[in-house]
Amino acid sequence: MNILIVEDESRIAKRIERMTRDIFGDTLQSLKHIDNLPEALRFIENSSLDLVLLDLNLNGDNGFDLLTTAVSESFHTIVISANKDQAIAAFEYGVLDFVPKPFNRDRLEQAFNRAITKEKTENNKIKLLAIKKRGRIQLIPIEDLLYIKGAGVYTELFLIDGKKELHDKSLEKLEQLLSPTFERIHKSYLVKMSEIQQIIVETGSKYMAELKNGERIPIGRTKYKDIKAKWL
Amino acid sequence: MNLRFLPCFLLVLLLVTACSQSSVYKEYETVFQVGDQQEWAAQNWNDRDWRKRIGLVHDGQIFWSRTKIDILKAPESLHPYGIQLHVYGEYEVFWDGVLIGKNGNPGQEAILGPEGEMWATFSIPTHLTEAGEHLLALRSSLYYFSNHIGMDELKIDYYDDLLTDRLIESSYMHLFAGAFLIASFYFLFLFLSDKKEYATLIFSVSCFLFFALILVEFMKAYVPIHYSLHVVRLRIIGILMLVISFLIPLYFSMQFPFPKRKPLLIIYAGILLLIFLSRYVFELTANNMALSMWLFSFGIVVFGVYKKMKGARLVLLTLLLSVPIDFVTPFNKSLFAGFSLILLGMFYLLSLRIKEQRLAYENSLVQSTRLRLELLKKNIQPHFLMNTLTSLIDWVEESPKKGVLFIEALAKEFDLFNQIENQKLIPISQEIALCRTHLEIMEYRKEIYYSWQEEGIDLEQKIPPAILHTLLENGITHSLPLGDNSIKFKLVFESNSHYKRYIFLTFAASVRQATSREDGTGLKYIKARLTESYNSNWDFTSEPTNHGWKNTLKIYT
Repeated sequence: MNILIVEDESRIAKRIERMTRDIFGDTLQSLKHIDNLPEALRFIENSSLDLVLLDLNLNGDNGFDLLTTAVSESFHTIVISANKDQAIAAFEYGVLDFVPKPFNRDRLEQAFNRAITKEKTENNKIKLLAIKKRGRIQLIPIEDLLYIKGAGVYTELFLIDGKKELHDKSLEKLEQLLSPTFERIHKSYLVKMSEIQQIIVETGSKYMAELKNGERIPIGRTKYKDIKAKWL
Repeated sequence: MNLRFLPCFLLVLLLVTACSQSSVYKEYETVFQVGDQQEWAAQNWNDRDWRKRIGLVHDGQIFWSRTKIDILKAPESLHPYGIQLHVYGEYEVFWDGVLIGKNGNPGQEAILGPEGEMWATFSIPTHLTEAGEHLLALRSSLYYFSNHIGMDELKIDYYDDLLTDRLIESSYMHLFAGAFLIASFYFLFLFLSDKKEYATLIFSVSCFLFFALILVEFMKAYVPIHYSLHVVRLRIIGILMLVISFLIPLYFSMQFPFPKRKPLLIIYAGILLLIFLSRYVFELTANNMALSMWLFSFGIVVFGVYKKMKGARLVLLTLLLSVPIDFVTPFNKSLFAGFSLILLGMFYLLSLRIKEQRLAYENSLVQSTRLRLELLKKNIQPHFLMNTLTSLIDWVEESPKKGVLFIEALAKEFDLFNQIENQKLIPISQEIALCRTHLEIMEYRKEIYYSWQEEGIDLEQKIPPAILHTLLENGITHSLPLGDNSIKFKLVFESNSHYKRYIFLTFAASVRQATSREDGTGLKYIKARLTESYNSNWDFTSEPTNHGWKNTLKIYT
């Protein structure tokens, strides 16, 4: 695990650091603390991370600037903030968890568990997906998204208007954030359930999901029963 | 909007209808002759050599006047015509040679003393009022005002109507006067409750004087006045007019302030006095005063409209409305109609001002409450409270003794906030104590070494609560520590005869421009607090310097 803590309150940062080391133990490869926004942005750009713990109020700066960048990256973001009223907005942007201050070790561990066990959020609060495009961050509304295809460490987002965008997060991480609106119907596909028009059984027991726009997406043999039940 | 004009229009309508009755007679020129011959009363006496004007007739000597009158329409049966005279002197009235009435004792005034009224009405026998030519002859003497020979006013109408019309007219005018009397009292009480509102007092006085003016003008209908005393009434009217003519523009000048007010008002008062003292015909004097008043008020209100001041347009309209009324109605009525319109305009302005004051007051209440809440919120807003509590938990877990000190500092800040929570100004010492405690708390949280310095502080001074505290918070939030992990704050106080000045300096490594929302509300709080306590007599600047940040707060004395 490579973890970054972005927090401008020194005492709290030390607390998070201490607890993180404690929880992860030997599995922790690196842990970095940064107390200001520009430096944090630089660090995120140049390092490979697995998890970012983010405070939304940094020296009076609006933490959402950093948040949009963070959620467009391949790693998961957990927000640790004093302002509980920012929780809903944070979830809409696609954070894995929101830990309100003051927190204890258990609450922090619970958040970390989500990251480690790939537990699905099941909260259905996400509204936007942030993608990097020509050096800028673009926000794509979830309602414009049809399905997602895994492409190695990246994913391809297929939108209603026929466009295709790339996302840095893996299919597993997106599944965690987008469930249960989206279902993993195949090891390479994550599909919005409400878009499936019918489930077709082709010759050679090939299962296909036909979307409302006519596109057909394969359903994994092992997943067929489960998906059909959910779809019905 | 339309409702506001309704009274004005009703008034216009009333006056126009009142003055448009058709006349039943035609009056020719009056001729005079000094002397006393009973034959001069006869209708067919040859008066060709009589004069249109005669000079002074001394010692109450008898003189005669003859006026040819055409009756255009014979009266209805049982309704005799009457004649109403407004003539100086004591006299006997002859109609077609027949004595129809007597007003005093002509020729014997010096012996018998004043008798008779200024306005007298006589019934004319029906058989003498056939359509056609008639003659009115007066046998008069003028002991007291020998230069006032002439027929001021003559009116022929149904006798009953002549008597009742005046009473009806004056009763309406008295109702009107009553309204102004009540308004006068109301605004006087309003003034007494707030003695700074001189406009209210002026309005109250104007209303009262107007009430008096109506009374003096219309009391002739029921209070008999001998012609020798009539001048007293006219003088009173003149003085009332003079004061009102000055007060109305003065009032407007307060509502629509214009440059060089004082000298212009003094010049205006001089002009009014000049008109008042010029021994001219009375009605012309009054008219000139009314005209000057109108012109000056008009100028002021036009200036108000030009400057887009509130209410100026409606007042201008009432002023303009009073012009056509002046044309369609006889002098005394137009004067009152015009005045009432102008007073209505003033009334409207006053109601506007009262509304404004009420709104301003309500606003200030809301504002104070809002500021109080904002102050209270400082301690419980989640960013402060939750971060503090998180740090506190950590201190307690890691180093309980320090944790206790931390709690004590927090308790102290809460205590200070409770003390200042409902005050508009607090001693500077209290504000400084608040800042120092806050730094103590922040030291536990941020683990940065904060230092506080003061220079030239005058402990007698007061300051709106949590202003420096807000600046301090901004300083902490936006600053990064110097190389030795410290941030320094310094408060400098200076004062001279013009202003008091606080300079609040932050010495830190990097102080960034304050842009975020949170900071915006902080500055808003400071500005609102300063306005609450010092109106606009303050100045606040906030700027970066090479050592950090500099806030300057100037309070003018």
